This record gives sequence, structure tokens and C-alpha cells, in this order.
Amino acid sequence: MIAGDLFHRQPLRRELRELNYMFGRLTVTKVVIIAGNHDYLKKDSYYRSFQWEENVHMILSPEISCIEFPEYSLAVYGLSYTSREIKEERCKTAFPGKRQACEILLVHGGDENHIPLKKEDLLRLGYDYIALGHVHKPQQISPGKAAYAGALEPIDKNDTGVHGYISGEITERGCKFTFVPAASREYVHLKVRVNKEMTERGLKEEIGKKIREKGEQHIYKIILTGQRDPETEFDTESLNVYGNIVEVVDNTTYAYQFTKLKEQNRENILGQFIESFSGNDEGSLEYQAMCEGVYALMETRKG
Amino acid sequence: MKICELVLKNFGKFRDKSIALTEGIQLLYGENESGKSTLHTFIKGMLFGIERGRGRAANSDIFSRYEPWENPNYYSGRLTLEVGGKHFIIERNFDKYAKKVQIICQEDGEALSAEDGDLDMLLDGLTASGYENTVSVAQLKVQPGSSLAAELKNYATNYYVTGDSDLNLDAALKKLQDDRKEAERRIRGEIRKKQEKRDRVEQELSYIWRDIHRITEEQGLLEEEITNRRERMEQREKEASEVKQRMLDELRPPKWRIHPVEILVFIAALILSFLFIPRPWNSFVTVVMFLCGLIYIWNRMKIAKKQVKTEPELILEEITPEEEKIPYEKLIWEYEHRAGELREKQVQYDNLKETLEELDETSDEHKKYERKSCALQLAAERIEELSDGFQKKLKGSLNADASDIICEITGGKYSRLILEEEPGQGLLMGLLSDGRKISTAQVSRGTLEQVYFALRMAAGRLLYKEDYPVILDDTFVCYDDERLARTLKWLHENKKQVIIFTCQRREEEALEKLKIPYRKVDIF
Repeated sequence: MIAGDLFHRQPLRRELRELNYMFGRLTVTKVVIIAGNHDYLKKDSYYRSFQWEENVHMILSPEISCIEFPEYSLAVYGLSYTSREIKEERCKTAFPGKRQACEILLVHGGDENHIPLKKEDLLRLGYDYIALGHVHKPQQISPGKAAYAGALEPIDKNDTGVHGYISGEITERGCKFTFVPAASREYVHLKVRVNKEMTERGLKEEIGKKIREKGEQHIYKIILTGQRDPETEFDTESLNVYGNIVEVVDNTTYAYQFTKLKEQNRENILGQFIESFSGNDEGSLEYQAMCEGVYALMETRKG
Repeated sequence: MKICELVLKNFGKFRDKSIALTEGIQLLYGENESGKSTLHTFIKGMLFGIERGRGRAANSDIFSRYEPWENPNYYSGRLTLEVGGKHFIIERNFDKYAKKVQIICQEDGEALSAEDGDLDMLLDGLTASGYENTVSVAQLKVQPGSSLAAELKNYATNYYVTGDSDLNLDAALKKLQDDRKEAERRIRGEIRKKQEKRDRVEQELSYIWRDIHRITEEQGLLEEEITNRRERMEQREKEASEVKQRMLDELRPPKWRIHPVEILVFIAALILSFLFIPRPWNSFVTVVMFLCGLIYIWNRMKIAKKQVKTEPELILEEITPEEEKIPYEKLIWEYEHRAGELREKQVQYDNLKETLEELDETSDEHKKYERKSCALQLAAERIEELSDGFQKKLKGSLNADASDIICEITGGKYSRLILEEEPGQGLLMGLLSDGRKISTAQVSRGTLEQVYFALRMAAGRLLYKEDYPVILDDTFVCYDDERLARTLKWLHENKKQVIIFTCQRREEEALEKLKIPYRKVDIF
């Protein structure tokens, strides 16, 4: 079951041929494909005219339609996108046709612009299993009933966590499925706490250690938190110890003790400056402005 | 507030040195290197602690400078304060390992906790920076490369706009501005990076577009060729049907241009006409017929010549219309192949266009620097706003107070201190003498020192309700005897406790002359 967006854009003919060749090598597996919002069925899409292998079935209709596999007593229902967005709730009343003993629904979407779905509506339809696509992160919607398989491999630096596919079985006793991790690497958002004693070298070692712990095969986005010495400016380029860091986000703040500083400078501009920003959360623009202002005042201070 | 006793248990060069202080003018006399500055630092350190510098700065900071010469692990002292009629003993350990503050009230034996801010309460809001700005008055320090007048102006300006002479508003604002420029530079870098990416995609697009163009052109040519070929084929078919009409040619054996029967008939006709036509006509008719026959044969031979092509002619024919040799089916196949290729390229083209549209979203880095730029701007605006407030608040009252003091010290020579905002030049400082305005750049060093003194005294009076002691460190070096006397008199009348560090005997003599009570402590 491929719940849409197998391609990020319109597939090329040669790409479909490659894919078809691979599908053709499957011995017992049957494939059902629908098109998602990214590879939607454009007027001249190759999907529309492509001759698939016998074991591959593509649903080309923008309305719910069905493909039957009598040998498995199975009917798969689904629809394909013919435009970039579908705002209607097309699956709200897509009840199964009771054509076969087992019935599966294949849907791509779930957000406001891509077939809005409600869990209760989906479960009410009465399918044996609902295979969902669109969200990159694998997640179970209802145990034994519906799940997002997510992307097979993470495709963006914010696609963190494990990726893989869902493998399940429908028997007389119902449906049982499990998530099978298959991606060869993950994107990991690694938070590293910085303290004011930490030098660049120290930070590098800390990051190296953490990466070794989590696995060197992954791709990392490092998020620096905590407070750093105002004099230390980390060179984010040089922190890439293993060559697998894709981004370093510096969320550190200056290691000033603002309350103390405010007390000590109550009657001058520094104290009043800090006072004027009181009540702003760490992470707000005002807080950042306060850090920058205090830093500038302290840096240029005499003595 | 009053400082009653200093006990330097182990501080700088001093070991177990105790100095008692009372109300009024305290003259701490000591020769050069006797430890006056050490004492001065000790008082400040006792009240506010000594912060260690970080990194390389630690080698030359105050902590290291006054680290005891002997036994540096024992680095401590005691100071007794009188606040509101009660005596408090502050004990401090400065060393790295046993850093500690202890405050005990002498009257009721109550231990106060410095961590809970009891010391701050005792000092009634006096902070380290406030202390440096008002209580303690050293000589006006001159930065290398800057004149004293400029230094004084700098002090006053910074004091007026920030409330603390150590804070440098202009420098801070400049720093914020520089940081902002840097952030904006980074933003431009991000935009450029994005543009480069865009350019790459656009280049790819242009390649594909060129391919599309080329394929369309080729397709056009092929199409033309196909229609040509089709026409020619049709024509050839037509020709073929025409050829069929000439059946006679078909009857002839292929290699013969003239049929042998024709020749036999011809010869027979000649003989017959010669035999049967009466003389003399027979020979004439025969000759005519023979000639006619020759003309026919000659004509036939001419046609044959045209049809039979020579070897080079055949070769030539083989070379010239090369593509005509490609089979028609192949042309059709190629045409269709091109159509497929074109569609593939078209899809690629559209996909790339989508990529290009998505590139318009701003990157995280870009957003980050934009935010930083905003934060810097906000900080600068806020600082300027606050500084305006400070200027307004301080200028009026500080000016009036400082004017009074300067008037008294100079015996009325300078009646007022003026601080004006000059457009484009910031604050300008001047003195008013007999209704004439004199810029601070024009007065002597001594007068400048006196202006500085007046400003500090006025600031102290303005900021604090509590009457703090005044600590003067070699402040009067440049004062003439008369102004020194007036200053001492002013101090005696206006301040509860005055601690004067000096290496000269002038103050003592002046005090004697004025009959002002004082207490002298020799430091050694």
C-alpha cells in the first residue's frame, strides 16, 4: 500500500520505469498506489498512461474507488489527487462497499488543505484497516485500525525519529500491525547544554561524545542551549566533528545574572534597562534584546 | 553610615593591621608605597567583595593585585560599620577556597546573612558602581591620548546619560549598531546564497528549455520530412501507374532497346517494298523507308541511353539524398520518440519551476539574523529612551547642586556649572564666570578637578538619602591652598565622615589653620 506522495514532484517516465521494474521483481506482493498532493495526477501525468506490471495497481480516480483481490478476499479503496489540494472531506462518507471480506482504505492527507480527516469519522466508516499517508512522521491513529506509515527515509532535517513502514495482518480476529524501522539513518535534534566555563574545544568534545553515544550514522542538528560566556562566540562551522552535522542552532544566552546585575545597577541605565524588560520570557524577542543591550553596555564599560 | 574600624588580617602587604576611624575628617597620611591604595581597595572589597576576572584578565585583576604577599590562602579582613546607631562587623575571606562573608551585629549579637541581601540592606541601596561614582573620589584619571577636559566631559556625559560614569552610552550604542550591521550583512549573505541556489535552478531550467526547443525543432524537421516522403511516395505510386500504360515497353525483352521482331518486320518491309513497288519508285520508297527506320532506331537508342545510367552516375545517386534512404518507418519512430522525450522534458521543466517557487520561502538562518537585528534595534531604542529620561532627571538638579559646590570652592569666581546640549556635538560643559561662559577646555587642571569633585558630591547627595562617608584618594594635589581650605571647610560642614588619603602635609596644615578638628592616622 503506497498512500500517496511516492514522488515529491511529477514523476518522469524513466523514473516510473525504474520503479515498475523493481515492483516487477516482487514475487508474491501486490502493490496498490494512489497519488498524493505532491505527485498529483496532472492532466498529462505519466501516471495516467503508464503500463504497470500485473501485480501493480494504481487508483487513478479522484473519487473513492475500489480494487479487488478475490484471491485474498480483499478490497482496497482509495482515491488519487488530481490537484495540489483537496479541501473537501472526501472520506467522511466513504463507507466500504462490502465487496470482499477484508476491506482497506488508502488515504493521503489529514490536514486542512489535504482531505481533512477526523479520527472518529474514520473509525466510524468500518474498514478493517486504514492506511494513511501525508505526514512524514510515523504515528498510530488507532490501535489495529489506522496509522500513518510516515516516510520510508527521513527527507528533511526536521523529520526526526525513526522511519520505516507498517507491516500488518488481517485475520478473522481483526487487524494487527507493527511499525518496522527501515531507514538507514535518522535526523537527530541534539540539545547540548552550554555553560559559561565551556570553551569551543570543550563544546566540540561534548558534541563528539554525544554523537558517539547516539550513533555516528545519524545526521544531526545541534541545538545549543544554556548560557555562554559573553566573550565566547562559537564558530558553528568548526563544530562539525564527524561531518554529519547539518545545522547548528545557537539558542544560548549570555551568562549574566540579570537579577544580580539589576540590583547592582539599580540607579543607572543598566539596571533600568534590565528592569524595563522584566516579565519577558526567555526566548522572546524582548529577552534577546535585553541580552544584546546588556552585553553592549557591559562590553563598553570602563574599568 | 560610618566606617568605624578596619582590620586587615592578611591583605596585600598588610598583616594584622588595624585602623580605627571616627566621625569628622580622618586624615590617613602615608608616604609613597605605604599602602594607601591598598587600604582604599580594602574598604571597597569589604563592602562589595572582590570579583575575580576571567581568563587572561585574572592575572592583572584586583584580586591578584592585593593577594597577600605571604600566605596567600589566608586572604581576609574585618570592617566595622555603624548604621542607624548599631555596629556591624563584616568579616570576609577573599581567597578562592574559603570565600565567605559574615555579618554580626555587635549590639545584639545577631548574625546576618549576606546571601539574603542583608548587607545590601545595611548599605541602603549603595552599590559597587554607586560607591565608585559618589563615595570614593580619586584623582580624575586621564586615559592615554585624551585630554583632561575631554575626560571630565566624558565622565559628565556618561554620568548624565546613563547614571553611571563607567557606562559608556555612545560606545554601547555604537556596538549595538555594529552588531546590527553585522547581522544585516549576514542576512544579505543568506539572500545571496538563496539567489545562487535560484540561479542554479534557473540555469538548469534554461538547459531544459533549450533541450525542449531543440527537440521541437528536430520534430518540426522530421515532420516536414515525413510529409515530403509521403508526398513523394504518393507521386511514385502515381508514376508507377503511369508507367503501366506504356505496355509496349513492357513487351520488349528487357535488355533489348528495339524488339528483334521489329527489326525483322522492318527488314521485311524494306525488301517487300523494293520488290513489289514498280521501278523507278521502288528504290526511292525503300531509301525513304530505310531512313525512317533509321530515325526510329536512333530515337529508340536515345531513350535507352537515357535510362541506362553509367557507373559514376549511380554512385552519385547513392550519395546525395542520404536521408531518403532511411526507411519511412524509422522516421515515424523517431518522430514519436522525440514526442516522448519532449513530454519528459516538459515534466522536468514544470517540476523545476515548482522548486523555484518553493525557494521563495525564507531560510531559518535568514530568520535568525532578522530576529537578531530586530532585537539589537529594540535594545538600542530602549537604551536611548532611558538615557533621555536620565538626562532630563539628572541635568536640572545635579547642575544646581554642583553649581553651589563649585561656587563655594572657588570663592564665587565661578558661579555656575553649565551643561548644554549642542546639536551635533553632544553635551557641552562650561563654567559661568562674571556672566561669561568659559568652556572646560579653557580652564586649568585644578579647576577641572574641582568641577569633577563638585559633580561627584552633587551626585551622591542626589542619589542617596543616607549620608555616606566620603573617601578621597589624593584628590587635592592640584588644588591651590585657598581652594583646598574652602573644600575642606565645605566637607567639614556638609559631610559626617570624610576619609582623606594623602601623601602630603598640606591638608593637615590647612586644617590646623582653619581650626577644623581632625584625626590623623599614619600608615606604614
